[in-house]
Amino acid sequence: MSPIVTFSAVDKFYGSFQVLRGIDLEVARGEVVVVIGASGSGKSTLIRCVNGLEMYQRGRLVVDGYDMPNAEDRELVGEKGLADIRKGVGMVFQQFNLFPHKTVLENIALAPVRVRKKSRHEAEATARRLLARVGLESQAAKYPAQLSGGQQQRVAIARSLAMEPHVMLFDEPTSALDPEMVGEVLDVMRELAAEGMTMMIVTHEMGFAREVADRVVYIDRGSILEVGSPQAIFDTPQNERTQMFLSRVLKH
Amino acid sequence: MTAWPLRWARRNLFATPLDGALSLLVIPTGLWLIYALAVWACRDAQWSVLGDSMRVMMVGVYPADALWRAWTAAVILAALAGATVGLVVKDDPFALLGGAALGILVCASLLAGRDLADAGWAAVACLAAAAGWLAMAKLPATRRALPLAWLLGFALAGGIFAGPGFDAWGGLLLSIILTIAVSALTLPLGILLALGRQSRIASLRICCTAYIEVFRAVPLILVVYWVWIVVPLLLPDLSVSGVVRGVVGYTVFFCAYVAEYVRSGLQAVPRGQVEAARSLGMGTWTLNTQVVLPQAIKVVIPALVGNMLDIFNAATLVFIIGLTDFLRAGQMILADPRFGNLTYEVYAFLFLVYFAIGSLITFTARSLEGSLATGR
Repeated sequence: MSPIVTFSAVDKFYGSFQVLRGIDLEVARGEVVVVIGASGSGKSTLIRCVNGLEMYQRGRLVVDGYDMPNAEDRELVGEKGLADIRKGVGMVFQQFNLFPHKTVLENIALAPVRVRKKSRHEAEATARRLLARVGLESQAAKYPAQLSGGQQQRVAIARSLAMEPHVMLFDEPTSALDPEMVGEVLDVMRELAAEGMTMMIVTHEMGFAREVADRVVYIDRGSILEVGSPQAIFDTPQNERTQMFLSRVLKH
Repeated sequence: MTAWPLRWARRNLFATPLDGALSLLVIPTGLWLIYALAVWACRDAQWSVLGDSMRVMMVGVYPADALWRAWTAAVILAALAGATVGLVVKDDPFALLGGAALGILVCASLLAGRDLADAGWAAVACLAAAAGWLAMAKLPATRRALPLAWLLGFALAGGIFAGPGFDAWGGLLLSIILTIAVSALTLPLGILLALGRQSRIASLRICCTAYIEVFRAVPLILVVYWVWIVVPLLLPDLSVSGVVRGVVGYTVFFCAYVAEYVRSGLQAVPRGQVEAARSLGMGTWTLNTQVVLPQAIKVVIPALVGNMLDIFNAATLVFIIGLTDFLRAGQMILADPRFGNLTYEVYAFLFLVYFAIGSLITFTARSLEGSLATGR
């Protein structure tokens, strides 16, 4: 089966500053890829390209069979074609980004009703099922501000799942959480991985990466320096800079 | 131990020598002013002029046999206004006392005019306001119906009031209806302009920006005058009444301001909200109507209410295009030789009414600000 995400020699610039350098990466269906690297290395930018929140200038990026338009194409066509791709690509953010003026249930049911044109009844039934799955069935009528960070992030995951995505992107999903709430979010993600969801995860949780990842990608200054199984990356890193990075983050 | 008034005065009025000197200057002057005003109001002023001219000040030269139309419109608007206040003020005792005092004052002043029918209508209007307030403050379920109630109620009130034709409109009721109509029309137009200013379609963006900048740079009265002159040029066969031309002129002008308020609200919505909505595959329409605008509008509601006060105060300028608004009606009364020497009485009344309505609007805006800041 063809890979669901394919980067071929992708370059991205902010002005004259190059953020991504010649990225080549394939993600197979059902695979869990964890992207690690120092802050500012371009790892968030990398996964934000997958659903078009960031534009790339050169190379080719194919997501779920769609050719993602590059920056030049985007100037011409705008966001229009991207909406179709995004329906199938879920994204979970560091800051949750729940809609503060809508209840938990409305947050989850909004896109299925408005984008997938499901009936409200059906969308809310699905939303309740997803809430139960992330352990928050009793919170449906609350507003995001009434929930803890961990609960909000679990709602955000349910909101993405409601669109029945083919691939889920996680952009540092636990970085904004108090330490005691990290576990509940990772548990939900662990379950998703076990069910065979394709996932691209940017995280600093190395223990989680080792446990869940099929492959780990180490990115440094916009280039992918090393890709391999968790064991290969964490136990026997080949690249000198990977070794330095891991020795820094694994110390504590 | 000193009694608390003394301590309060020590701390607040005589804390420093300069403070003390200013207090000694301001307090006696203030007391003397209040005394002089009270003497004038209670002894010298001839308030009977108000009773005799109340009808003109409220509805201008509206035909007397159609007065029930004006009163019905006033009752509907009072109910809607009461309901709107009830949205933000639920059980603030001072506000309620103030509202009740205002109602009693209105009825009493009409009774003093010895017109029982008018006093009765005024009482009905006050009761309608109270009922609207009660419904909104005590039955949260009615809240969702408020926008619809405004739309239908305002259309109904306008329709009934317009029975003898728009040209008959005048007085305070004209000022109020003008304010509401302009406020209601500028909101959607302002939102469209604000969104247009952010559009990635260059022609749309440039047009909207130009519109906003042009109308913010010119005086209101120029725009109103200009519309008044241009409308008959564009529609030579149609006689468009002065009221409609006034509403169009004010709307053309004020929607530029609303657009800028809305734009500041749009900028207050975090980028992550747009990214989250885009990530869920939402198109621009859904993104704006479901995610961005509800949050943006909520941020700028106090500013928009303040804008409404600006519209109300600026509505005094419609006399330039020949309409008889509240202020103009007062001046008309003074033009009557019988009342010519009662300038102070009439202007004091105008001042009080403008102050009462303006305070009500700013008070609502501030309460909204408070409740929106603390609530969700």
